[in-house]
Amino acid sequence: MKYIFKNQLWALVLLIFAFSCNDNGGEKPLGKYDTGILIMNEGNFGTNDGEVYHYDPSTETLTKDIFELENSRPFAGLVEDMVLEQDRLYLVANTGKVEIVNPGDFKSIGAVSADLDQPRSLATASGKLFISDYGPYDASYATPDSYIAVVSGLDGGTVKKKIEVSNKPEDLFAFGKYVFVAGSEESQIEIIDAEKEEVVKSLEVTGRPVQFFEQNGDLWVYSYDSDHVYFQSFHRDNLTKKEFRELPVGQATGRIALGEDSKIYIVTSSGWPEYQDGVAVVSIFDTTLIPDWTSGSGFYGIGYDQMRQEVYLSNANDFQGAGTVTVFGKDGTEVKSMEVGRGPSGFMFR
Amino acid sequence: MTLLLWVVTVFGFVPVQDTVSLQPVEVYAPALDRYAQGQKVVDFEVETLRAYSARSLGDLLQEKSPLFIRQYGAGMLASPSFRGTSAGHTAVFWNGLPINSPSLGQSDLSILPVEAMDRVQLQFGSAGALFGNEAIGGSLHLSSESDFGKGFQAALSQTVGSFGLFNTSFSGGFSSKESTLQGIETLRGLGKSFSAKTRLYRQFANNDFRYQDLAQAGTPEVREDHAQVEQIGLVQDMAWNLSTQDQLKAAFWWQKSDREIQPPMGSHTQDRQSDESIRAVLDYYRFGRHSTLNLKSGFIQDQQIFNGSLNQTRQFLLATDYDFSPGEDWNFKAGARATLVRGDLSTYSATDRRYEFYQSARWYAGEGLSVSLNLRQLAYPENFEPFLPSIGADWKFWENGKHQVLLKASLGKGFKVPTLNDRFWEPGGNPDLLHEESLNGEIGVSWEKKASFSWEQSLTYYRMQVDNWIIWLPMGSVWTPQNIREVKNQGIEYQGKAEWKTGRLEWAWMMGYTFSQALDLTTEPENPKQLPYTPEHQANGNLSATRDWISLNLSSFFVGQRSIGTGGARIMDAYQVWNAGLLFSKLHWGKTSFPLSFQVLNLLDKNYQVLYLRAMPGRSYQLNLTIHL
Repeated sequence: MKYIFKNQLWALVLLIFAFSCNDNGGEKPLGKYDTGILIMNEGNFGTNDGEVYHYDPSTETLTKDIFELENSRPFAGLVEDMVLEQDRLYLVANTGKVEIVNPGDFKSIGAVSADLDQPRSLATASGKLFISDYGPYDASYATPDSYIAVVSGLDGGTVKKKIEVSNKPEDLFAFGKYVFVAGSEESQIEIIDAEKEEVVKSLEVTGRPVQFFEQNGDLWVYSYDSDHVYFQSFHRDNLTKKEFRELPVGQATGRIALGEDSKIYIVTSSGWPEYQDGVAVVSIFDTTLIPDWTSGSGFYGIGYDQMRQEVYLSNANDFQGAGTVTVFGKDGTEVKSMEVGRGPSGFMFR
Repeated sequence: MTLLLWVVTVFGFVPVQDTVSLQPVEVYAPALDRYAQGQKVVDFEVETLRAYSARSLGDLLQEKSPLFIRQYGAGMLASPSFRGTSAGHTAVFWNGLPINSPSLGQSDLSILPVEAMDRVQLQFGSAGALFGNEAIGGSLHLSSESDFGKGFQAALSQTVGSFGLFNTSFSGGFSSKESTLQGIETLRGLGKSFSAKTRLYRQFANNDFRYQDLAQAGTPEVREDHAQVEQIGLVQDMAWNLSTQDQLKAAFWWQKSDREIQPPMGSHTQDRQSDESIRAVLDYYRFGRHSTLNLKSGFIQDQQIFNGSLNQTRQFLLATDYDFSPGEDWNFKAGARATLVRGDLSTYSATDRRYEFYQSARWYAGEGLSVSLNLRQLAYPENFEPFLPSIGADWKFWENGKHQVLLKASLGKGFKVPTLNDRFWEPGGNPDLLHEESLNGEIGVSWEKKASFSWEQSLTYYRMQVDNWIIWLPMGSVWTPQNIREVKNQGIEYQGKAEWKTGRLEWAWMMGYTFSQALDLTTEPENPKQLPYTPEHQANGNLSATRDWISLNLSSFFVGQRSIGTGGARIMDAYQVWNAGLLFSKLHWGKTSFPLSFQVLNLLDKNYQVLYLRAMPGRSYQLNLTIHL
C-alpha cells in the first residue's frame, strides 16, 4: 500500500521526461510491463497465493499472474508492497521474502529469502536495501522485536544487520543517506543513517503513521486514528518536523492515493461489526473535505491513474477467491470493473 | 489367529438386513444400516484396515473412498469433504459417540490413526434423522472391538519407513469364555463372560522429505524441516456378559499428538500444535425376546495447544434407545440423547446443552422391499430445530441363483448446529447464526454376482442442497461467521469389485469413480461455479494377486482439477499417485507367526500438492513386521 505514491511520482517524472525527450532516440526500448498498471493481489493468509496482474488500459487487456508467467514458478507468498527504485521492482512478501524483478519483463533478478520475518516495505539508500519488518510475533501476538533489515546490494542477498526500531514499522522513504521509517504502533518517525546503519533520530507524530509521500516539494507522512487523519511534513535539511494538519475524517485506514490537484483519496471503514466502507477525499493545501466520495463494502486498496485521471478501487470479496477492481472517473462515475486475483490491495501506474 | 496384513484391499458392501439378526460379532453393536434403507453404506474390510494400520484415517479415505481429503501436508490437518460439502458437514462417531470437536465442528483425520480402529464404516448423504448433528455430506463410524472366547492373544508390530517413520504398537487381549453370538436367542443361552483388549501405540515420523521449493528462485530441491509428528495412544476395550440377558461394554481411548506444523512453501512459520483427547464410552444392553434396550454414557475431552495457546472442550453424553420387533415384518426404535458441552477456549468460555429425540421404523413389505422412516427432533438453548425426517427403501427386485440386483432410494434432511467458535469466539463470534441445513435425495443400483468370477457393482446418483452454509468472512480486521452460502450438489458414485482365479493365483480388482458437482449459488447464481477445493473427478483402483501366502498389490488414486478460491481463482493440476505392496502372510517360527509386508508409496515419485503450495512427499518405503504370540 505504501508503494504507490513515491512511485507514482517517479512514474510521473519519468513520463514528463519521456515526453520531453521524445526524440532523443537513445532510450532503451520499453518492456511490456513498463507501461500500464500493475495490480498487486496480496493473496490469502495460509495460502500464499499473492500475485501481480498487469492491466493495459489502452487495449483493456488484463494479464494474470505475471510473476509466475515470466518466471515459471509461483510467487508463493503474500505480497505486502511493490517498490520501484533503482530500475528494479521489489516485491515485498510479508511471508518472509523480497523478490526482485526487472520492471520491464518481470524476470527475476534476485531475492532476499532468509532471515526475514514479516517484511512490510523497502527503500534503497547508499547502494543498500532497507527492509521494514514487524519481526516475529510473541505469545500474545505482539511484535516487540521489530526491525529494519539491511542488505548490502540492490539485487538482494543476505541480511547483514537488523536495526531495532519501534513496533510495527511500515513505509520507508529514502533521500540522500537518510531513511525515514513510519513506526506505526508507537507513533514514531525514526530516521536511519544509511551509512552508519543506525537510528540517528526519532520524532514523535500524532496517530498511526503508515505512509510517506511527496507533495508540492515537501515530504509528508500520513497517519490516522479513529476520528482523524493527520499529515506531518519534515524539514529535510535538519530532520525536524515542519507543518502539521489534522482533518476530521473518521474510521480512516492506511490505504490512500494521491489524486488530481493535490487531492488525497482515503479508504475508510467502520470495521467490525457494521463494516461500512467508503472513500473520503481531502487536501492538505485547500479546504477539500468530502467524507463520502463513494461508499460500499469490502474496499481493500486504492490507486490513482494520473494520466487518465481515474480512481482504481479494489474489493477483496472477503478473500474467498477472485477480487474485483472498479475504475471510477474523478467525478465518481464507474468506468469499468474487472475480476483480479485474491485480495487486491494496491496499484502501480507505470 | 493369523493376522492377514494385506490380502484383498477392497470394500465390503454391507448386505441388506431383512430380518432381525445381530452382526456375527462377539460383542454387540447395533448395525449401522438397520434403519438406513436406501442409503449408501460402505464397510472397510479388516484386511484393508490392517494394510493402513501405520497410516491415518485421512490416508485411507483419500486412497480408498470417494471422499476428498484436504491435506495440509504430510501428517498435517486432513479434513474430509463428502459429496462436495465441507469438513464440518461430516459427522464422526467412535463407538457411537459423536467425536467432532464442539468448538471447531470437525475432526482432523490425520490424528485418527487406523491402528486404533477395528472397524470403519461410511454412510453417504444427509442423515440428520438417523445420526443427528453434522451428518450433512455423510458420516464416519469408527469402532474398536474386543472378542469373547478367544483366550489370550497378543501381537507386537513394528513399522519402519522413509523420512524417519517409526511406528510401534502392542495389542493384548484376554477373553474368559467361549461364546458365539449369532442372534438374540443364542445370547440368551450365554453365561457370564468377560473380554478385554488393550492397544498401545506410538507413531513417529520426521517427515524430512525432499521437495521442490517453488517459492525460491531456481526452485531448488530442499528438505522439509518442520513437519515432525509424534502420536501416542492407548485404546482399552472391555465387555462383560453379566447374565444371559445383560451385556456391559466399555471403551476408552487416550491419544496425544505433537506436531510441527508444516508451513506452505514461501512461509517460514514455526507453529507447533499439540492435541490430546480422552474418549470414554459405556454401553449397557438388555436383550429381550424381541427387543434390545441400550443405555449409553460418554465423555470426551479435547485439548489443543497451538503455540502455547490452550483450547479445551468437554462433552458429556447420556443416551438411551429401545429397539423392538412386534412382528416379523416390523422394527421400531425410539431414543433420546442429552449432551452437555463445556468449552474453555483461549478467548471465551461457554456451555451448551442439546437434547435429541428420535425414532425409526422399518417395514419389510415382502417381494424384497424394505422401507424405513426416521425422525429426529433436536433442541438446544432457545432453539428448536425443525423435525428432521428421512425415508428410504431397498428393493431386491431381481435374484436368480448367482445374481442379485438391488435398488435403493432415499430422501433425507441434515443439519448442523453452529459450533461454539461460530457463536462465541471473541472477537467475531455470531450468536445469531442459524443452523445449516441440507436436503439430500439419492437413487442407486447394485448388482452382485457370486460365481467363480464374482463381482459387485454399484452406481449411485445424488442431489443435495445445503442452505445457510456458514462461512467466516473478514469484517474489517475481524473475521466473523455468517449464514451466507447456498450450494447445490449433485454427483455420481461408481464402485466395483471383482474376484477370480487363474490357476493357483487369486485375483482381486476394485475400482471407484466419483463425479461431484458442488455449485456455489451465493455470488453469481446465474453462473454458479464449483466450490473451491472440490474436484469434480476422483477415482481409485486396486489390483491384487495372491498365491498361497504371498500377495502382491498395486493401487492408484486420481484427484482432478480444483480451484483454490471462488470466482476465477487459480486452478490446481490433477494428480495421480500409485502405491504398491508385497505381503508374506504366513511366515512362522514354531507357534509364532509373523506376517511381513513391504509397501512403496507414491511409487512413481509424483510431485504433487493436494492444497496449494503444501508440499507432499515423493516416493517412500514402509516395512512392517508383526509378531503374533
